[in-house]
Amino acid sequence: MTGAQAAGLHGREADSAAASAVKAMQADGRHADARERYAELVGRHQRRASRIAFHYLRDGAEADEAVQDAFIKAYQHLASFREELPFEVWFTRILINGCLDRIKARTRREKWVAPMPDGPTGERDFGERVAGVGPSPEDQLLARERRQKLARALSRLPERQRSVFMLSHYEGCTSREVSALTGLNESTVRVHLFRAIRKLRTLLGEDGAAETNVEKRRVTH
Amino acid sequence: MSLIDRLRLSAHLDEAALVSLWTDTALGTGPAAHPHLERCTPCRNRFAELSSWLDTVRADAVAEADEHFPAERLAAQSAQIFRRLEATERPARVIAFPTFTQPLPSRSSHASRWIAASLAAGLILGVGFGQFLDLRHSLAPRPAATAARLTSDAPPVQSAGSPFQKPDGREDLFLRELDASISRAPAELRALDAFTPRAGDPGK
Repeated sequence: MTGAQAAGLHGREADSAAASAVKAMQADGRHADARERYAELVGRHQRRASRIAFHYLRDGAEADEAVQDAFIKAYQHLASFREELPFEVWFTRILINGCLDRIKARTRREKWVAPMPDGPTGERDFGERVAGVGPSPEDQLLARERRQKLARALSRLPERQRSVFMLSHYEGCTSREVSALTGLNESTVRVHLFRAIRKLRTLLGEDGAAETNVEKRRVTH
Repeated sequence: MSLIDRLRLSAHLDEAALVSLWTDTALGTGPAAHPHLERCTPCRNRFAELSSWLDTVRADAVAEADEHFPAERLAAQSAQIFRRLEATERPARVIAFPTFTQPLPSRSSHASRWIAASLAAGLILGVGFGQFLDLRHSLAPRPAATAARLTSDAPPVQSAGSPFQKPDGREDLFLRELDASISRAPAELRALDAFTPRAGDPGK
């Protein structure tokens, strides 16, 4: 057993214990204590949840709201949580369903409302511009372009392939966990991951090839 | 090892095989290493290149998400979650209707009450008196001429000074002069004159 796996196992046990304790406190009407104990779970899963929500929604503010809603929903429905499933998996399922609902609502909204154009640097808000202390502006620009290409390619994947790719590759979930999260068969998860990678390679290769052709044309003209 | 297995192992792995191998490794569903990769350096390099590309993709995605969620934002998010949780658990507050600790002083005096009462009484008496007069008027006997006109079928008697009174001598003379002047009028106007009723004509 690797260190990460051992830590994960330890984390799951701790999650399970915390969830059970919160459930018992809620049943006893000790709401302040329950909230205090629930803070432990929030702290442990908040960053990962924010990442997942951001990968789905591609918008910081909306991802923030989705994470808040998921934690509140999980707290309110903790009575229905069964210990046979890890809390992480149960919670992530709530979060993903919330994100998918938001995507559906956004799609419906965008049929009627023209989206606000992003700023010249891609931020929606001046407040999101954080003074850079790390990489140079050129590196930042290149990284941003690379991320935009990747985001475009990911958005062209079918929803299930995208989910499987993000959960297994970005979040490091095993096939069993992805299966529990998405409700897909483990062998189907493997097939979706395989197809997602092949398609991403093709799409990003196409993007790269298209850019190379444009560069060549610029040089010849 | 059979010949087919040897041939299979000696053939280079294509892209699909490399991705499949990587998928198995990532999901933990297959062997950690492929026998061909141990022998073939080009395929090993391609596999390493694929793994490296996927690692870059993951690092970019994670970095992008983490850029949007620095520690301060996560702290604010956590605080907001617990504020909302506390708000949902708090029982609904019933806002009491504002009551006054001491009664408001009355601005109206006895005199104004009497004035209002006498005005209202006057109004009621006025309306009643008006109704009484109206009733008396409608019950009073009618004049004889009106009663006769209403009861008999005979045509109404023309009173003196009626516009349909017969013309006297002076008027008769004036009308005759008028007729004479009309007879001198052009022939085109005579036809029109024939249609026009005359003031002296009976029944017109």
